[in-house]
Amino acid sequence: MSTLFRHVISAFCLLLVSTSAGAVTEISIKAARIEHPLGDAQDVNLQFNLNKRLPTLSLTAKLKQKNENDFTQLSIRCDVPQFIEFNAFKCSEGLLKNTRINLPFSLEISRLFSHGAPDIKAALQLKNANFSDEAGLHAAEKLSGNVAIALKQTGQVWKWNTALDWQLGEVFWQPFYLANGGHTLVANGSFEGDVLTVKTAQLKIKSVGELVAGGQVQLTDFKLINLNANLPDLNLNTAYPLLFKPLLQKTAFNDVEIEGKATLSLQMINSELKLFELRLKDVDLADRNQKFALYKLNANFPWSFDSPKNVSLNYESGELLNLPLGKTNIQAEVNRYSLISPNVRLPILDGALRLSDISAARIGGQWYWHLSAKLEPISMADFSTQLNLPKMQGKASAEIPLVTYSAGMLTTDGSVVLHVFNGSVTVTQLRIQSPLGIAPKLNADIALRNLDLGDLTRTFSFGAIEGKLDGDIEGLELQNWTPVRFDAMVQSSPGKYPKKISQRAVENISALGGGGAAAAVQRSFLRFFEQFNYGKMGLSCQLRNDICEMGGIESTPHGYVIVKGSGIPAITVMGYNRTVGWSELLARIKRVTDGNSKAIIK
Amino acid sequence: MKKILFSLVLLLSTFFTSQFVAAAADLEVNTPAISAIKNSMQARHGQLAAHYASGAIGLTKDGLIAVRDANAVPLKDRGGLNSAVTAENADRNKLYKEIATANGHPEWQAEIQSTFAGRWIDKAQVGWWVQSAGGWVKK
Repeated sequence: MSTLFRHVISAFCLLLVSTSAGAVTEISIKAARIEHPLGDAQDVNLQFNLNKRLPTLSLTAKLKQKNENDFTQLSIRCDVPQFIEFNAFKCSEGLLKNTRINLPFSLEISRLFSHGAPDIKAALQLKNANFSDEAGLHAAEKLSGNVAIALKQTGQVWKWNTALDWQLGEVFWQPFYLANGGHTLVANGSFEGDVLTVKTAQLKIKSVGELVAGGQVQLTDFKLINLNANLPDLNLNTAYPLLFKPLLQKTAFNDVEIEGKATLSLQMINSELKLFELRLKDVDLADRNQKFALYKLNANFPWSFDSPKNVSLNYESGELLNLPLGKTNIQAEVNRYSLISPNVRLPILDGALRLSDISAARIGGQWYWHLSAKLEPISMADFSTQLNLPKMQGKASAEIPLVTYSAGMLTTDGSVVLHVFNGSVTVTQLRIQSPLGIAPKLNADIALRNLDLGDLTRTFSFGAIEGKLDGDIEGLELQNWTPVRFDAMVQSSPGKYPKKISQRAVENISALGGGGAAAAVQRSFLRFFEQFNYGKMGLSCQLRNDICEMGGIESTPHGYVIVKGSGIPAITVMGYNRTVGWSELLARIKRVTDGNSKAIIK
Repeated sequence: MKKILFSLVLLLSTFFTSQFVAAAADLEVNTPAISAIKNSMQARHGQLAAHYASGAIGLTKDGLIAVRDANAVPLKDRGGLNSAVTAENADRNKLYKEIATANGHPEWQAEIQSTFAGRWIDKAQVGWWVQSAGGWVKK
């Protein structure tokens, strides 16, 4: 402590002794400027007033740390006891003030020395204090509380213990915010050279939980030499907004509702995380934007820098992008920054997604993983209902030998096969970018084979067509799940089978092609027939920049053939508009399938 | 004379190349991704507008936003302010990337971003804080 004063350079120091009736009544020490490696002081004025029954000591000074620009005004007045050994210094009316700090305090020093060595016992009381740093990122308002400090020197070691009782006021300490008081800290330790040792610290955060910690800090650079921390019983509902939400800002978990308990213990050495163990108990977790949810989640997540650990995680149910997830149990081995698991089965609806040979690694702040996936058949009826699509029959299954995820991009090598409408839909070259992000992108090629047009037209209430449909949708790109680009051609499948089209379907197809044929049907004798025979039908659309370049099975000088008639009664439907705005086409399809464009037979 | 001619050619060529880029990049291009991002920004704007006005946040010269003076915001809202700024900047970066991609030139992203930076600052309301080469200025 003597070093504290060793470097003091007084510009000038004035001792004034005013005398009255021969007795000393007041001692005043003034210094215009004091410099020290830790900071500077100006206009120091120490007054010792002996005139009263109880002598008082007042101090005013302007202080600043070396790296600060502005001075802080300190003023304090203390009652000085007549016998220092037995009485307390009572300092009331203490104030630290500058433009951003207003810290009224009182200080009671009940002991300064024992057996000739420093042995300090003091209590500091803050009353309605405000402070803020320049950027406003570390600030407190209306802060009231008590701090008890005991400090004792034995040889080179100072032993300390403290109890902090934060009663009122709010604090924002980037990125954390504590709204109210009611938190306490009890800690003890020692201080030797420039190392601060915290033997035990017990922090109780009101309605969140308790943190028990111990460790050592190098005070010169605030480097953590070691730290052991334990949060034995954390209430996640209250801990999430306080502790986790601010830290998960850039992740998918930045806006969730969470209930349940957690325990966390961790160890750090030389500012590096060495090990931790996180346990989740009966946690319910749901994204506020309905992107995912997990219910009755239990997990045991141990981690060590030095040795591999086994992780287990299970949940009763959940949801991912509106698809319900069934009871799941995941086991994995985590080895520093990588994770492997031989098998994971995720039940989805009445089927399951079976993932195998999973391997994931976190490199440079990004996740990379690969696995192979197999979709056990899921009923399309449930699937379409869940996604608010028209109810489809059939099953979806898939086998993808290699799925990779690299820096936000999900790529598949293999195919997803949906068995629907008595035919098949095969999706290949499937790639998805940031599926949980704000503007997800999907690329794929899709092949339709032998879809039953009867089922299809009934499902989408289009007007009955009998027959089979093939189609190829190549270079499909969806943005935010809306198509922006593809080359599509759908047409009647080759082969012999009954080919019939209802008058309503003819009108609807004509409506898609921009009208013409429907009016012709209604004017001619053809209106007397409920359905017609066709030989071939097909429609193509090349979507670019929100415009669909349309075509049919054949081109004619004035348009293209969509339905080519055959037999009696036969009908041929032509399309005349080659370019149709995509939004306009969607609107037409919606009108048709909504049934607004009912057949009008005159 | 030769020198003058050379300067003239240089002037004309820079004029034409910059015209070319300006003409070629369609900043109003719309795709579902762009409209999703714009909707998200629009929804957030209600929350940010008061903070622009109070000077808590300002428009940076690189087409993003930043916390300028958190003291203008009550303590309890400062965490939310930080998250809103983080989310807004994530959206803005995505927007520039999507506009460049929609123009068929992903490599234009930086240029589109700097064009937008100027536009945001031009469109900023009086009293908002914008960043110039010399630092923050109140419009």
